[in-house]
Amino acid sequence: MTRLGGGLVDRSQTLGFTFNGQSFTGHPGDTLASALLGNGVQLMGRSFKYHRPRGVVSAGSEEPNALVTLRSGARAEPNTRATVTELFDGLSATSQNHAGPLGFDLLAVNDLLSPFFAAGFYYKTFMWPRAFWEKLYEPAIRKAAGLGALSGLPDPDSYDRGYLHCDLLVIGGGAAGLAAALTAGRAGAQVVLADEDFRLGGRLLAETHRLDDAPATDWIAAVEAELRSLSNVRILARTTVFGTYDHGIFGAVERVSDHLRDAGGRVRQTLWRITARRSVLAAGATERHIPFANNDRPGIMLGGAIRAYANRWAVSPVARLDDPVAIFTNNDDGHRTALDLLAREVPVAAVIDTRADARAIGRYPLFAGARVTGSRGRTGLTAIDVRAAGTSHTIRCGALGVSGGWNPNVHLASHHRGRPVWRDDLQAFVPAPGGPVGMFPAGACSGRGSTQGALTSGAEAARDALAQIGIPAALPDLPRAEDTPVRQAAFWHVPGKGRAWLDFQNDVTVKDVALAHRENMRPVEHLKRWTTLGMATDQGKTANVSALAVMAELTGKTIPETGTTIFRPPYTGVALSVLGGGDTGRDFRPTRLTPTHRWAEDLGAVFTDAGQWKRAQYFPKPGETHWRQTVDREAKAVRAGVGLCDVTTLGKIDVQGTDAGEFLNRIYANGMATLKIGRVRYGVMLREDGQLYDDGTCARMAHDHFVVTTTTANAGLVYRNMEFARQCLWPGLDVQLISTTDAWAQIAVAGPNARDLLARVVDGFDLSNAAFPFMACSDLTVCGGVRARLFRISFSGELAYEIAVPARYGDALMRRLMATGADLGVTPYGTEALSVLRIEKGHVAGAELNGQTTAAMVGLGMMVSTAKDSIGAIMSRREGLAREKRRLVGLQPVDTQDTVTAGAHLFEGGADMTLATDQGWITSACYSPHVGSSIGLGFLENGDTRTGEVIVAANPLDGQTVRLRVTPSHFVDPQGERLRG
Amino acid sequence: MADLAPLTALGAAAPRSLEAGAFTLTERPDIALASLALRRGQIAPILDGLTLPAPGAFASGNGLGALWSGQGQWLIAGEGLAETDFAARVRAMAAGASVTDQTDGWTAIALTGDAARLDAVLERLVNLPPDALAPGRATRTVLHHMSVILVRHDRERLTIWGMRSAAGSLWHTLETVVRRLS
Repeated sequence: MTRLGGGLVDRSQTLGFTFNGQSFTGHPGDTLASALLGNGVQLMGRSFKYHRPRGVVSAGSEEPNALVTLRSGARAEPNTRATVTELFDGLSATSQNHAGPLGFDLLAVNDLLSPFFAAGFYYKTFMWPRAFWEKLYEPAIRKAAGLGALSGLPDPDSYDRGYLHCDLLVIGGGAAGLAAALTAGRAGAQVVLADEDFRLGGRLLAETHRLDDAPATDWIAAVEAELRSLSNVRILARTTVFGTYDHGIFGAVERVSDHLRDAGGRVRQTLWRITARRSVLAAGATERHIPFANNDRPGIMLGGAIRAYANRWAVSPVARLDDPVAIFTNNDDGHRTALDLLAREVPVAAVIDTRADARAIGRYPLFAGARVTGSRGRTGLTAIDVRAAGTSHTIRCGALGVSGGWNPNVHLASHHRGRPVWRDDLQAFVPAPGGPVGMFPAGACSGRGSTQGALTSGAEAARDALAQIGIPAALPDLPRAEDTPVRQAAFWHVPGKGRAWLDFQNDVTVKDVALAHRENMRPVEHLKRWTTLGMATDQGKTANVSALAVMAELTGKTIPETGTTIFRPPYTGVALSVLGGGDTGRDFRPTRLTPTHRWAEDLGAVFTDAGQWKRAQYFPKPGETHWRQTVDREAKAVRAGVGLCDVTTLGKIDVQGTDAGEFLNRIYANGMATLKIGRVRYGVMLREDGQLYDDGTCARMAHDHFVVTTTTANAGLVYRNMEFARQCLWPGLDVQLISTTDAWAQIAVAGPNARDLLARVVDGFDLSNAAFPFMACSDLTVCGGVRARLFRISFSGELAYEIAVPARYGDALMRRLMATGADLGVTPYGTEALSVLRIEKGHVAGAELNGQTTAAMVGLGMMVSTAKDSIGAIMSRREGLAREKRRLVGLQPVDTQDTVTAGAHLFEGGADMTLATDQGWITSACYSPHVGSSIGLGFLENGDTRTGEVIVAANPLDGQTVRLRVTPSHFVDPQGERLRG
Repeated sequence: MADLAPLTALGAAAPRSLEAGAFTLTERPDIALASLALRRGQIAPILDGLTLPAPGAFASGNGLGALWSGQGQWLIAGEGLAETDFAARVRAMAAGASVTDQTDGWTAIALTGDAARLDAVLERLVNLPPDALAPGRATRTVLHHMSVILVRHDRERLTIWGMRSAAGSLWHTLETVVRRLS
């Protein structure tokens, strides 16, 4: 054990956990990293490319190295940072990316081959043969190099989402964030305070600085208690704000039960979308390391992390408690680490300071103007090589803290194209003024990293932010705290022969950057993609700025001239499951059910998706072994007897007003104002560009009342376009619109026996051809008084009606029609038979109205009225469209055994099959029980004059060519006698 | 007398209800609904003493409820009147206006619970600031990719109006959230 005294862990309780199957103990308040270090475990994983032994580098979310897989089976979570994993009893973790035991990784051979694996190696080496890349090279490389692996199993956990609205979002619960939340909370503003840690306090928890001569934890506890007492303040702990989006919207993930052994029915995580009028970014700073040869050995970590482990978690990050710790620094922070360690009786081997004028501030050996040039030890640090005043030294130590200064965490301020700016006095990037609207950086992330600076700037940021939205706030009394000015000098890496790691997670070294420079991959964007620097789960939090500095050194330019670091969401990795908000499988999206859905289920219908709708596709009967059998039977039954089909999904729009007729005249290409009351007319609508976009029927119920139907797919679009026209194009017209799609259950009753069947349910309504002819409509009642609407329209080409009742009666009416029509051969049919019937009749549907066709192409050119104007009418007459000669035709195979395939393209027999000779394509095809062969509809050049001609349909994907005869598009009842009968 | 038996939006003869902790969820197929849109130049009528509410608001009285649903447009609700020709009644009260039956266009689900928990439920459901969900407010919004209207009658009572055809998905969403928070 390498535990020290004190710290913020609860030693009254012991938590058991395992790492690679070995049992350890820790305490509440520990992270997995602190608990492992407390047990003397330094080796936690293997590196990405070279399989080098790696240990923990940091004490926070920036961790590049200590990535483990938590849990097992379907709950296995790869690439979890041990530094932010809250320890719980029973936690089990395994290390990643090694073959054989972690301590003796067989793939460590990669490290010996490292001269071959420099940046760009893969790009250059595995270029040919080309075909080998996907099948051989890439799988082999991926197997050897990588992070954790997904379980491949469905995620068994549940997730949640939510929305928060506040005046002020405070991102980060350290000194600056707490001061900001306190200021805003006392001012009565609605405040959300989010912090990724499980304990508020941020860096204050890791330092020994006193506030008003008391431990910082006293102040934190008092502030937290006050904030929790305020109803206008919400504290979200374990919550990472991962992205800044438009209009003051932030994405955040709350880890609700990740830290619990048993979630107890809770969701695992919640995705919060936070809309904040203003925000204070108090995200702190990330310490820089100083690359030197072999600086990636377990035991070498950031100096600030060593302080955090010692002070907060009471751990010395060494293998044995009496191992001394050394410090390598270019600033005063390193000396503070030494003092804190000494105060906890950890031996300090030496402080190596790059500054020649450095002075010791405690009783430890100091090498001023010196640098660390190498490290020793196999899977853990045993000694470092130091070069000072021209002399080399080897210093025995079990851990080395490296302090290269601090990089403000500008990430969330740069998500919105806010480019950070370089401050020479700080030798660091800070958030630019004019970053995300309404965001006020404070504390270390704004370059005010002293404790006093953080407290003051946090409170001021909150006050200034609230002032912008008219909420006056007074600065609270803040405690007195240390106020050492932030002084950072430029010392970016130790030049030398060995490999010095810049990016631990991606195994990118200073040499790789030099190679990128030689290969002219100098802009930072090229540097990143060439070397993979800054990629993967840590997104280069500990690497980017240092790499930029190295490149600047090579190019001889300044850092800001070389480039800036810019970040995109997410700040840290976010599980796709939580982004999905918890809806998976059947509940992935809303489902719409027709009013007769239960009836169709009872009949064993097979359903198909039509947008959000579930529609009955066909109704198999016992003994039917193939869907075609069922569909053929259904289609024949409609032509011979009577069929029933739920057509509720077609859009219905109620149009009222004294100008309703004029309005519809402008919406439809054909005239509607002249439609008589009690009559229905087929209509087509054009887009503004003159192409067809929807068709349907329009029924006139009264002088000032129409009912428009649309296709299922365009129900929403047509309604939206009509609303736009009403409100924006012609606000002077007296028109009112409302959708009634869901309000009415609508059932198609089609077939020669349709009239006889309907007569059995209507309440004394005259259905005779004289009283209610083709294209008539009327209000009526059915089944003893149920309000209904009847339309005599036909999609199948048969005598047909559509009857509508309030949706709640749809199921009962369908069952009634089925029960009462048995002797008439009543048969339910689904969308498949519906399609067969309409192809046989030559009626167009979505496949023909695909947005690239004109009214003329489908044979309805005459419908585009020239007697009035309508949307798209003039554009439909433009030269490019008017010249279009492809026309809708019917197609039948010359050999009746052949199949017509939708999507096939049409050519003249014997012609080359090229784009230049392409004469059209097949839009719809089916087997027609009426015709007795496969049939189709398609667009063919001059098709209206080519009836009887034999052409070729080519389906190059399947290598098929079929000879087809051109026919009229009506395969059944071309004169339309049946539907008028 | 009609001899067809109606089904509720959730597909059963009787309305569905659920108790989960302090919450209750109840399907309300008895509420009739009609849209009322003013003709050009028409002054908003007063319905049996009920003044039609301003944007974002809900008003009720004399067994009727009204919520603003667009410029010059309201939805009028009548509890217990779903089996009547409610649109005809509204048409009679609002002479000259365009009235359309909407009873079966929507499904109403009533949600009750203690005020604070109801707020927590709403946080999980809709992306609206608390003001838009205060008592007396009616707001059209999106809930799990579905278009809905939320009517907050008082701190403890809410009606969620959704598309009738999507009633199953809406109920599933509401049930999931209230069970988690109960």
